Amino acid sequence: MPVTFVLPGLLRSFAAGKSQIVIEQSSMTLAEALEALWKLYPGIRDRLATEQGEIREHINVFVDNEDVRYTGGLQTPIRDGVEITIIPAVSGG
Amino acid sequence: MNAALSWRDQTGSPTALVDCDPDFMIDSVLGHYRIVSKLGEGGMGVVYRARDQVLQRDVALKFLGAALAGEARQLLLREARAASALSHPNICTVHEVGEAGGEFYIVMELIEGKPLNTSVGDGGLPYESVMRYGVQIAGALAHAHGRNIIHRDLKSSNVIVTPEGLVKVLDFGLARRLVAEAQDAGTRTMDTLESAVTTGGTLSYMSPEVLRGEPGDLRSDLWALGVVLYEALTGQVPFHGRTTFEVTAAILREPPPPLPVRIPPGLAAVIQRCLAKEPALRYQRASEVQAALEAVQSASAVSEPSDQRGRTTTVHRGIKHLKVNSGDVVLLVGTMKGVFLLRSSAQRGRWDVAGPYFHGQATYALVYDDRAGRHRMWASTVGMWGAFLRSSDDFGRTWTNPQEAPIRFPAGSGAVLKNIWHICLGRPTDPNVMYCGVEPAALFESHDDGETWSLVRGLFDHPHRPRWMPGFGGLALHTILLDPENPQRMYAAISAGGVYATEDGGRKWQARNRGIRVVHLPEKYPEFGQCVHKIAMHPARPERLFLQNHWGLYRTDNHGDTWQDIANNVPSDFGFSMVTHPCNPDCVYIVPIESDEFRCTPEGCLRVYRTRNAGESWEPLTRGLPQKGAFETVLRDAMTTDSLDPAGIYFGTRSGQLYGSADEGKTWKKILDGLPPVVCVKSAVVGGDRIGRAPRNAKKTVSSKRRPPREKSRIRRKR
Repeated sequence: MPVTFVLPGLLRSFAAGKSQIVIEQSSMTLAEALEALWKLYPGIRDRLATEQGEIREHINVFVDNEDVRYTGGLQTPIRDGVEITIIPAVSGG
Repeated sequence: MNAALSWRDQTGSPTALVDCDPDFMIDSVLGHYRIVSKLGEGGMGVVYRARDQVLQRDVALKFLGAALAGEARQLLLREARAASALSHPNICTVHEVGEAGGEFYIVMELIEGKPLNTSVGDGGLPYESVMRYGVQIAGALAHAHGRNIIHRDLKSSNVIVTPEGLVKVLDFGLARRLVAEAQDAGTRTMDTLESAVTTGGTLSYMSPEVLRGEPGDLRSDLWALGVVLYEALTGQVPFHGRTTFEVTAAILREPPPPLPVRIPPGLAAVIQRCLAKEPALRYQRASEVQAALEAVQSASAVSEPSDQRGRTTTVHRGIKHLKVNSGDVVLLVGTMKGVFLLRSSAQRGRWDVAGPYFHGQATYALVYDDRAGRHRMWASTVGMWGAFLRSSDDFGRTWTNPQEAPIRFPAGSGAVLKNIWHICLGRPTDPNVMYCGVEPAALFESHDDGETWSLVRGLFDHPHRPRWMPGFGGLALHTILLDPENPQRMYAAISAGGVYATEDGGRKWQARNRGIRVVHLPEKYPEFGQCVHKIAMHPARPERLFLQNHWGLYRTDNHGDTWQDIANNVPSDFGFSMVTHPCNPDCVYIVPIESDEFRCTPEGCLRVYRTRNAGESWEPLTRGLPQKGAFETVLRDAMTTDSLDPAGIYFGTRSGQLYGSADEGKTWKKILDGLPPVVCVKSAVVGGDRIGRAPRNAKKTVSSKRRPPREKSRIRRKR
């Protein structure tokens, strides 16, 4: 079963304009799913994560409806068929 | 007997001709047409040049390569005959539709031209051409729709452009009807779609409603027109993918990728509306599209032409661009929400404004690089998606957008790049060298024109670094100065760490803060930890630096070994910005700010202060600046000079106003207001035709003995 990434507007310009990316890989952590995503679209990596490999402060990642901050961060297990949604936080000035 | 021969005598068996080698057809005779040569071959069949032996003219003869029967055959013939009645300068005239040997053929006007898809190329066509073609295609559609004929298969290979730029649309109402009927009009499934793709190669142009299996109407043609125009502009159809499924999904659900910035917004808007997923949200008539395109065409006729292409990936809508000529002055204005570019002639009286670029992102650092014949602008952008360095070689029309962030702290350093505060160009003798000052405080260098960057470890590993403290704006290395005479010497200003200098090209760094007072530590004159806001140097006097501190104005005459207070008769010695005059090394401009608590201009008066004697005295420059109720802030990089004579001085405020003086500060004009908060203002005189002049008072030392007594009572200080 594939895993689907749902991308916000800014990241689409680094993913050939697509809002959804399907990754054919199973039994993995969020970190592995992200690796697979930016193997396909390398420009996404540095927008989403810092050079130290952490998800940027004002970017939220949800696995289905759960914020991964509360489910193990990058080690969150990714079940088959889930949707991983990347959404910028409601912050800024 | 082979099939080709059967055509020659029109008596042979009805073997499908498309199965034959098309070259066999040459010299065949079909009715009163003699086939002369093959013109092309597409998914729908083979096209030949043929001679009409009755009317003595050359025609194009196309075999559709499909056998139909019964009602479908009648329907096709009826529709084809209706299409042949169309007479319009932009529609390829159909002379005859016939059937021979069980196959349909069309005899049509022979057009000497190229299909649009073959002339587009990878980068797309100039938008002026696309608008001209678009108006003609829309005109052709309007004519046909007015006669109840829908094209059903508009695509760029069906649009022929003659060498004179005349557009002819082919195959009205024919090809798609053939495919649809041949497919037995059953339920639309992925299989029939695959088949449609193989047969016609036209999936990319299919509208969402047609993909859903609805019959489609004239608005489906308008969708296809949108796809054709998009493709002509960019070289790519808007919806693509590796599989039929991906293409279909994109057509049904994805918005088209944004058009490049060089496309006039009006044209982009027309295409976007043609590509509305819901037919009801599109234009409802082709004549509306034609009128809209004509309106954009006449609007763009007065703006500058643009055929520049970029290495860009960034796209923003609604941006105006500058047309820059040699000798022009360009202002680069970085704000909290994007970059604006302004251009003026050397008179600097009127300004054109372009932007915003990097919509929604802050730009703290900008620089114009004209070393080695470049016309390159560099900008740093920062937002929730990180900090990136970008460049443009065409005055903002296109910007690079690196896939990977080139400036990054090494893994294991624990540091994360927050912002790029300063972009410093290497010496003219090192045109590929650049430096960046960043937050958290560190220096990066590039020796390959900004492609790759490395952390300057000498400063990053300095034993003082763990004890530097962030200022209100963060812990940033915000200013880099290169000694023009000593290639091994450079300075870095860190808030709050103080001034550091290297004498060996960056391996070792020493704190140079002796004499600079701090207010935020118990020790008033520490070795380091000063909250320096800006340092400035005139290249003719590299041993002398000026410094605007968190509180305090200073000058050094010995490369920063010792500093002396020069806050003589200014309303406050707090402030951020500080620039040297381009020619006069004794002339410095500042904008005093009331205090760190009330970070606004004192007494509600917006005053630039200038010294022309290296800080012995300062004079207010106020003509044209608001002197009442102007509680403004000018941030550390928000003031600059140009290199003309007389020098232009420019500054932007946190309230989004931009002021300029074309006479060295004697009089000021508001250039622009309503901007987002301005954080950075830089200038460029384009073309290298700078009016040089010898530095005034070069090498003249200012004697401290001649300094007038300080008017301490008038100076707001924190002690």
